[in-house]
Amino acid sequence: MGQTNILLMEGIKKYFGGVRALDGVHFELNTGEIHALVGENGAGKTTLMNVLLGSSIKDAGRIVFKGKEINFKSPADALASGISMIHQEIRLIQQVSVAENIWLGREKKFSKFKVIRYKLRLEATRALLKELGLEQIDPLKRVNDLSVAQMQLVELARAVSYDSDIIIMDEPTSALTTTEIEQLYKIVRNLSKKGTAVIFISHKLDEILSLCDKVTVMRDGHTISTFPCGEVTQPELIRLIVGRNIDNAYVKSARAAENTGEPVLEVKNLCRTGVFEDISFSVRPGEVLGFSGLMGAGRSEIMRAIFGIDAHTSGTIIMNGKTLGISKPRDAVLAGMAMVTEDRLRMGVLHSLPVLFNTTIAAFKSFCTMLGLIKTQREMQAFRDIVESISVKYHSPYQKANQLSGGNQQKIVIARWLLCKPDLLILDEPTRGIDVGAKSEIYKLIDQLAQEGMAIILVSSDMPEILGLADRVIVIRNGRIVYECLHEEANQETIMSHAFYG
Amino acid sequence: MENSKRNALSVARIESLLLNNKALLITIVLGAILSFSTPVFLTQTNILNVLRQVCVSTIVAVGFSLLLGSGNIDLSVGSILGLVGIIMGELMLLKVPTPLLIIIGILSGIACGLINSAMIITFTLPPFIVTLATSQIFRGIGYVITNMGPILGFPDDFLFWGQGYIGPIPTPIYIMAFITLLLYFIVNYTAFGRYAIAMGGNMEATRVSGVNVNAVRYGVYAVLGGCAGVAGLITTARVGSSQVAAGVGMEMDAIAAVVIGGTSMSGGNCKIFGSLLGCVIVGMVNNALNLLSIGSTWQVIVKGIMILFAVLLDSVTTKLYAQREKRV
Repeated sequence: MGQTNILLMEGIKKYFGGVRALDGVHFELNTGEIHALVGENGAGKTTLMNVLLGSSIKDAGRIVFKGKEINFKSPADALASGISMIHQEIRLIQQVSVAENIWLGREKKFSKFKVIRYKLRLEATRALLKELGLEQIDPLKRVNDLSVAQMQLVELARAVSYDSDIIIMDEPTSALTTTEIEQLYKIVRNLSKKGTAVIFISHKLDEILSLCDKVTVMRDGHTISTFPCGEVTQPELIRLIVGRNIDNAYVKSARAAENTGEPVLEVKNLCRTGVFEDISFSVRPGEVLGFSGLMGAGRSEIMRAIFGIDAHTSGTIIMNGKTLGISKPRDAVLAGMAMVTEDRLRMGVLHSLPVLFNTTIAAFKSFCTMLGLIKTQREMQAFRDIVESISVKYHSPYQKANQLSGGNQQKIVIARWLLCKPDLLILDEPTRGIDVGAKSEIYKLIDQLAQEGMAIILVSSDMPEILGLADRVIVIRNGRIVYECLHEEANQETIMSHAFYG
Repeated sequence: MENSKRNALSVARIESLLLNNKALLITIVLGAILSFSTPVFLTQTNILNVLRQVCVSTIVAVGFSLLLGSGNIDLSVGSILGLVGIIMGELMLLKVPTPLLIIIGILSGIACGLINSAMIITFTLPPFIVTLATSQIFRGIGYVITNMGPILGFPDDFLFWGQGYIGPIPTPIYIMAFITLLLYFIVNYTAFGRYAIAMGGNMEATRVSGVNVNAVRYGVYAVLGGCAGVAGLITTARVGSSQVAAGVGMEMDAIAAVVIGGTSMSGGNCKIFGSLLGCVIVGMVNNALNLLSIGSTWQVIVKGIMILFAVLLDSVTTKLYAQREKRV
């Protein structure tokens, strides 16, 4: 149909330290093509786009755009050359109007002697919105008065207003309702008719297959394959997205099905309006319960609510047979819970504090007299014992925690909770951003703790991790439990298909 | 090769020793310069004089170190100090016996601290703004009560706390020593002190670790309020009257001393003896200016320069520290 190649990326490599984020990626895009990019969390989609836009610098490979080899220095540079991107998170200035947001940085267009002529800008905005069929958005409204969906559509309008040759959309439909999604599809199809190429990143396979022309699957920093959308089915895509072999890094001792004991934690109909709904499950002593699902499905939010970091709207949390009124983490800790949060920097490590202080903070009361005086020797002994037992590498107890590697920081946070001797340990993405060695040590630890009778909840986006460690798996999608199975029945295809489309 | 390794190690050790104890280093260097240039400096009278002059600012500064270490700030300490003095004056006019009057005065300092923290916690407001507002309010209450005039006529057993001697040493120096040791003990040997520093390092992580961060916050403000109360006692007893302007600018002196002493403005560490030395450094410089007959008008400018110097020193040493750690 007279389509010509507009973008070619070949042999793209990108390393973060020793981790290969991209390992020889090949990606082609034609004018007027709607091209989907799919893959698991961490497959390298975002990194690839960052490399294209110049916000990350590639370590190898070349990018050819409109017949010329390019190396953008920044997203602004890319934008000026004709590639714009709509990000997953809203990047508008909340306090100013829609019109100001759309033309931000391009006021010159409407200016005379450096004075902005508001009327011209307003007209241009009206024309743009009308062209896109978004007349319902008032260009004079302040952005924070819009709904999230409308904000996303304004982002779209802004990206279109640059008349770019390529528009990248990262999960553009995540906050939209059905009618708005239809509107977005229409806009995307019109763009494509005019010759604009669209890179469409999404987890929703049904929408990809109905909207896009081609789909490229990424996995572990590689592009696995590219198909025309008519020639592939959803189950085939899922198999390609997950298709890797589970290696033997996962230790799971044959724990006798002791699932007869009284549950340590029981959660009944837990709700947080708009985030998750009707969550009910229980964990027994010595059991590893895995929570799987896509990023943003609501797993971390559920755990944070159980632990009292976030509030919940309704539901019951029962710990060791007692109903708890949890409103802050302290309540959960006193009830015998412990939680290693996903956000290690913000909620885990006490950055500038000594390793010692970091390790003993949660169980600190047990190293103090009744009057709150510190038993220094007891504290040091407990510290040395625990860090040795989980082999943390450090120079001195007074070394600052932020000087440790990510893996050792994570171990310190885990050690902090082990000193509390909890009945239930919640681990939210415990191995994210951690090197392979530390990972397998943490796996061993999880197995060992379960054997000693601790109940463990493991939230992970890493499929082999869940399959390798969990006695039971719960899949969350859009804030609801959509699937549950035992270790023996668990396989990646079923779990992934439930995670993707319930 | 063995030798060079050992040398490198000791160089690193000396570096880190200097970076960790810059206040001590400055004190020693400054002290040496002053003893050589002005013979009067090293006499017993002069040293006691310097120490007595820094008593008030030190007592506030050690309380302030704990507060800054916990990641909070209080711009109202100067006003609390002034208000406590006035409350003591009014109680004195009501013929309240001295011991009771002192206790009520210090308790009202603590109450001011609790008011600050209650506001910050209940309405989740930034400490900077809340204490900026309360500093005006506390000061204003003093103005209203006294109608801007001083309160005179304190009895001798009250004046003893500011003007008296025990042996050859003035009473306020004992109080300063006691408060400094007390704060050192709180910071290093109590759970409350540890929680406060942890909170300064990462408040959210401390909360997630099951620490009652609100209680700790009330605590650090109360401790500083108590320190301001004691400082108010000494100030009032020293001049023998309640002055409406007592303690004006005290928060800035305290911050300067605390930063010179090595406590980070952003929280997460707390050096009590460093803050003591910070105050001593400021005291020595003022003393030198006096000995050199440079007018008190200049002292204000010098103090300003020292604050700049302190902040600069903080940022330079932080960078040096970061570089050093990269090498390790």
